[in-house]
Amino acid sequence: MASIWSLQFHSLHFRHRVSSNAKELLLHHSLSQRLNWIPLTPNRRFLLRAINDSVSPDKDQRPQNDVVDSAKHTLVLDSKHPLATFQESITSFPPVVFLMTRCSRNNFTMGLCIAIAIMVVAVRAYVARKSRQSRPGSVADLVRRGQLRSDRRGISRPLKYEDPFNNPLVKVGKSNSTVEMCGKLYRLAPVTLTEEQQAIHQKRRSRAYQWKRPTIFLKEGDSIPPDVDPDTIRWIPANHPFATTASDIDEDLAQNNVYQKHGVPFRIQAEHEALQRKLEALQNEEKLNNLFIDSRNAKDFQRPFKLNARSDELDEEGPINNPTIDNKPPKPERASSSIESNLSSEEMQKP
Amino acid sequence: MFSLQLFPANPKPTFLNTSFKPLLNPQALKCPKPYPKSKHTLISSVLQWNRKPELAGETPRVVVITSGKGGVGKTTTTANVGLSLARLGFSVVAIDADVGLRNLDLLLGLENRVNYTVVEVLNGDCRLDQALVRDKRWSNFQLLCISKPRSKLPIGFGGKALVWLVDALKAREEGSPDFILIDCPAGIDAGFITAITPANEAVLVTTPDITSLRDADRVTGLLECDGIRDIKMIVNRVRTDMIKGEDMMSVLDVQEMLGLALLGVIPEDSEVIRSTNRGYPLVLNKPPTLAGLAFEQAAWRLVEQDSMKAVMVEEPKKGGFFSFFGG
Repeated sequence: MASIWSLQFHSLHFRHRVSSNAKELLLHHSLSQRLNWIPLTPNRRFLLRAINDSVSPDKDQRPQNDVVDSAKHTLVLDSKHPLATFQESITSFPPVVFLMTRCSRNNFTMGLCIAIAIMVVAVRAYVARKSRQSRPGSVADLVRRGQLRSDRRGISRPLKYEDPFNNPLVKVGKSNSTVEMCGKLYRLAPVTLTEEQQAIHQKRRSRAYQWKRPTIFLKEGDSIPPDVDPDTIRWIPANHPFATTASDIDEDLAQNNVYQKHGVPFRIQAEHEALQRKLEALQNEEKLNNLFIDSRNAKDFQRPFKLNARSDELDEEGPINNPTIDNKPPKPERASSSIESNLSSEEMQKP
Repeated sequence: MFSLQLFPANPKPTFLNTSFKPLLNPQALKCPKPYPKSKHTLISSVLQWNRKPELAGETPRVVVITSGKGGVGKTTTTANVGLSLARLGFSVVAIDADVGLRNLDLLLGLENRVNYTVVEVLNGDCRLDQALVRDKRWSNFQLLCISKPRSKLPIGFGGKALVWLVDALKAREEGSPDFILIDCPAGIDAGFITAITPANEAVLVTTPDITSLRDADRVTGLLECDGIRDIKMIVNRVRTDMIKGEDMMSVLDVQEMLGLALLGVIPEDSEVIRSTNRGYPLVLNKPPTLAGLAFEQAAWRLVEQDSMKAVMVEEPKKGGFFSFFGG
């Protein structure tokens, strides 16, 4: 008695006719091997075993085989992983197996190509990153110019373009009606505006826009001067940010300032002169003060005569220490007399 | 007249028609014949070889750069066009006429060198030559600021002051500058009136959106009322991809609405922000960006008092075999 196995899979090639027990065992073994390889659940294995057990050699083979086949087909298709199916099909195919064992050099070549491709991609990414970092016109230039306070970014070099006639990117087509510039293709389309159309537009605008240049600017409360075209008058609101009085700037002076070509500018000159006058005034005051001090110092140089002077000083200091008013006038009188003498000497010295 | 001015890759490119000869006569340049004209287009473009543009008009050319609406790119245009003019060999004085808010010095990277302004000159604190800041990158470019943020100028007085300034610059010892560019503040009030007072011509900067166009139209009307007739337009921040997708007005639509001659079309470029960060105008970049090239061309047309005769419309690029892979 022989149990007949009939396994029909589109991707498998089995000997489906068995007549001896040995063959049956062989098929079973190979099938179990495959089943072990396939991640089957225990229930499915039990079901498969049940299917195997249910085949009785005594019954008619074909219908049973058909049932078994369909059951197993659905079972295996449900249980098998698609990748596993694919791999199984490859490995079971005799020519493929033969080729794989024979052409191992192809594998090496394929691997090498893949490695080169990965390297090229990596190098390109690196170069792109580099170019992005060194591209001019980035925020780094704002940092360089002092507009942004950040030292995180680098500084790029400005490009130079000297020859305006050398534009290799401009290519004219053979028919002279197409132009290729910077990788894009353009067609020349003629301009359709005629002079008549231009004149029509000018007339339209002259009718639509009536405007006269304002020459008089008045503030609130100002009276309108007589014989003045009202279209040339503009009223300045009091809160206008640029509303300053005309008298702040002398027009003639401003015009002279604009036309000045040499020398010191007017305001600088005026400030300089004012500063000079102030310095001179200060110097004069200092001189006066110095003269006042010198008269006192002059007494110190009169020490050889101090025997007489000392007695005078003692007399003066005595009454000075005593706060009386009477002794004070002689001092200023002396000082004033000395100043007067000095002044007279200075006047004599001045040309 | 020129339709488009492009720069060759080298002085003698081999891919050009050999019948083209270097043109020295500026009048001859207005009738270009170098390329065989195709039957489908009436446009002719001329390549400029290493030629300095011929200065047209009387010097100094006092140009006010205005817009009406704020944030459209007046200061950026002033800085880039000014430096382009300086690089072309012309002496330029750029005046930041915004009394309250000063920005041109930041864009040029000269903010640390502004010590004196026009207010100090008027008050007699310094001379005019001391208030001019010379750019070290291009010595024929100078900056003059009207005032520091906290100072103020009397209303009605600023216009006269600017007229005196222009006269004084004309009469200076080193000679009159070729160009005086005045960066106008936004709006149409006292600052605008001050800035346009000494100007002979105007460059109107606008973007292709309806709000900017309405303000630009109003400003154009005021300029014409004030006697400035030479007004040209620069359309800034143009997105050719949005124009292609009908999400943005085209430059020709803008021109149809305003009726002004085109001086330049500047595409949207993120390099503008980077150049602001660096204090280095993007016309000086190497390699140049699209916006930088456009500013250069606008400066060229400004010198020769020319205008654009054709605009560039983006076309889908025909790729080769590898275009499928994104090449």
